[in-house]
Amino acid sequence: MDERTAWIALACVDGIGEEIFNKLLAVYGSAWTALAAANDGRLDAWMAMRRRIDGQPPINGPTLAHLRATAADPARPLADAAQRGLWIMTALDQDYPTRLRDLDPPPAIIIGRGHADALRGRRAVAVVGTRRPTPAGRLLTTRICHRLVECGAVVVSGLAVGIDGAAHAATIQASGSTVAVIGAGHDRPGPRAHTGLREEIVSSGGALISEYHPRTPAKIGTFPRRNRIIAALGDATLVVEAPIHSGARITATRALDLGRPLFVAPGRIGDWATAGSLAILRETAARPMVGLDELIEDLGYLAPDADRFEGGQPTRAALETLGKTEQAVARRLLDGPASLDSLVEITGLPPAVVSSAVTFLLMRGWIEPVGPTYVVTGVLAR
Amino acid sequence: MLATLVTAVTNGLRGEIVRVEIDVAPGLPICHIVGLPDAALSEARERVRGAIRNSGFQYPLSRITVNLAPADRRKRGSAYDLAIAVGILVASGQIRRGSGSWALLGELSLSGTVEPVAGVLPMVATLQRQGYRRVIVPDANVHEARLVTGVEVVGVVGLDDAARLVAGPRGRTAERATRRPAVELSGPRPAERGPVPRRTTPLAAEMEPVDLVDIRGQGHARWALEVALAGGHNILLIGPPGAGKTLLARSIPGLQPPLDDDEALEVTVIESIAGLLADGSLRRQRPFRAPHHTSSYAALVGGGPALLPGEVTLAHLGVLFLDELAEFDRPALDALRQPLEEGVVAIARATGHVRYPARFQLVAAMNPCRCGHYNDAQKKCRCRPGEPERYVRRVSGPLLDRIDIQVEMARVPTAQLLRGAKPESSTTVRERIAAARVTALARNGGRANAHLPATAIVEACRLEKAADNVLVELGAIHHLSARQTHRLMRVARSIADLRDHVDVSADDVLAAVQLRDQGTIFDQRAAA
Repeated sequence: MDERTAWIALACVDGIGEEIFNKLLAVYGSAWTALAAANDGRLDAWMAMRRRIDGQPPINGPTLAHLRATAADPARPLADAAQRGLWIMTALDQDYPTRLRDLDPPPAIIIGRGHADALRGRRAVAVVGTRRPTPAGRLLTTRICHRLVECGAVVVSGLAVGIDGAAHAATIQASGSTVAVIGAGHDRPGPRAHTGLREEIVSSGGALISEYHPRTPAKIGTFPRRNRIIAALGDATLVVEAPIHSGARITATRALDLGRPLFVAPGRIGDWATAGSLAILRETAARPMVGLDELIEDLGYLAPDADRFEGGQPTRAALETLGKTEQAVARRLLDGPASLDSLVEITGLPPAVVSSAVTFLLMRGWIEPVGPTYVVTGVLAR
Repeated sequence: MLATLVTAVTNGLRGEIVRVEIDVAPGLPICHIVGLPDAALSEARERVRGAIRNSGFQYPLSRITVNLAPADRRKRGSAYDLAIAVGILVASGQIRRGSGSWALLGELSLSGTVEPVAGVLPMVATLQRQGYRRVIVPDANVHEARLVTGVEVVGVVGLDDAARLVAGPRGRTAERATRRPAVELSGPRPAERGPVPRRTTPLAAEMEPVDLVDIRGQGHARWALEVALAGGHNILLIGPPGAGKTLLARSIPGLQPPLDDDEALEVTVIESIAGLLADGSLRRQRPFRAPHHTSSYAALVGGGPALLPGEVTLAHLGVLFLDELAEFDRPALDALRQPLEEGVVAIARATGHVRYPARFQLVAAMNPCRCGHYNDAQKKCRCRPGEPERYVRRVSGPLLDRIDIQVEMARVPTAQLLRGAKPESSTTVRERIAAARVTALARNGGRANAHLPATAIVEACRLEKAADNVLVELGAIHHLSARQTHRLMRVARSIADLRDHVDVSADDVLAAVQLRDQGTIFDQRAAA
């Protein structure tokens, strides 16, 4: 039995978390020794000593039983994983993703499906947000991810419904690869609504990973814990929409702990969907994301076509090509999203005229619907 | 002695002739009614006996047999009372039939007064068609009966009046043939009370009509409603509570053109059968029915033991307004599909089956989700993840397919409510709608744009060259199916009619696109 097998076996014992794993490693020097100690009395002696000092044993009864069983058959977890089509990387490996080594301590093992190379991408950004996004948040996520893929970046997120799901889906749509860090073992791989998305992530060159062994159930704490991995896997973290109580705020804190840049898409004051985003901006060193081009520049990913358009010029040129009513509608939309009703109200044009102008702009791909409103896109959004 | 009289019943919207034969023969005093009577009809013998005695006649102490022919058809209701009573009087020799023959309709009270019955209009119309020229009806129904031309209608207050009419000026009537006044213990006598409708109109009566001039903002939705009414398109308004969906719907009665003569008669017949015709005048106003979302299946499509028409039939040639569409029972909503498609509703029950007309325009309103704030940036949606998707899925795809126009409404900002410009009044909009309808009906051979069959669309919706190009381009972008393309063309046709365009212009087609949900409510959510 080599040390790597022992390491995986020890990390896969039910009940042994990061803390105990590292304690055992510190006491016995290696996972191999720790497993050997479980069956030859040295472990019992250590436990007895700790009980005298701390008043309670460091490992509880059921966990000890699991540990002994594993020690008797240490090759089993690796074989089980292989049988399920999962790969395992350990902190011992040479090709362990360098970004994860910034964590102290780095996750002992990473169990994954799909392409392990996605974890070692040259560029990677974590995109996270609420489980209940607004249509605008969903759209912004899609645009950001499309742009990140253009720059050759891997998008990392948490496979939750909402912004996470939109980020994965948009990346796949733009033919990029994406890494999903799930908050439980691979036997419970996230929301049922994302069954199809999981397969697409794998088939499009991305990976589904977890630091927990496959049987680990989703418990209080498993999701927030994995957020540190999401933050670590990205060169930077981007929060799209976060209400006051949002897991995305944990990811944001972890990114700052790691010294990674944190970007937050600001929202309008008073909108519930972005109240948490504004709180992050107020309380931390996060930087606001003010536009796609600016984000790419701040990330240091100069997009191939970043300097082809000079601010505002194409928008003005495009407006000139439009008829009078279309121009009036487009100009209004340049000020911000508007519903058909407010367009009618502000332009003072008959509803039928506004409607045909809106359809015309839609067909050109210059505006798009976001919930009950329309926003500028394409050449008008430059 | 044997007496034969004629009366009528309703079956669906048509009346049917029923012959009443009465035989008074020596024997033990008993009264048999044969010919498949129901409970209400079997009780007729008690009402008839009381009415005869209290009108100054004698109830014969003989064996009375009443036969209702055709004998194999089920009979229900109380409209036979008067015919049976008069028949007994003739058969027992208390009055002698004078010249001419009368058909009789009416229910009797114990005091001998003749009470109104439902469905007099279609029954009299049938009698007229079958060649009967003189009809006696309850006084309260005389107005509606007189809507039928070519027949002499006489209203009677009591059995004694009817007896005198049947006997004629030279006929013999019992000397003492006068009604005894009943001892009234509860309020004024029937003659002094106004006519009382038997079934009150739900909601529609309570929903005060609203003038468009009082509705601020919602320019797009107002216009959508105008297009819908001009082309007869079904319309769905989606928006948060307080956006003004119901308010807008309440403006509909003030926007519809009046019924023409044939339509008016059709609507009046339906109301007569449903017992809603209080004053008996011809209905000129298009029906506007607003059943509550807790309405039962039978209330909506019709049925019950008496196979009465439901809301879909009462809304025939008018508007059926379903507020909170997603809160209606699924079976009730799916039952709307047949009437929406064919304009008729078939009701089959143990007691029989009928077909009622049901060519109504559907106007529906719903919230975008259970709490109402989906897609709302200012207010947080309180629904749990997945709930909004399930909520909209209660409205089935086939039903949505039949709703040509779907618009999303947002709440109107307070500033706009208070300071916005004064909008158009209902009168202005009604005139535009009426003009567009006239154009459409003349071109389509009497059909509204919404009812154009697929085969007639290309001819009726001639496109200008540019419009043709736009439609092809739209088809390529949105992958429009044939059904969706036709729907778009019908709506564009209505917009063109409102703008007085002979051929449909590119602008009309482009505008029509905005009268469909852009996928944010029903499609995008499925993908989320």
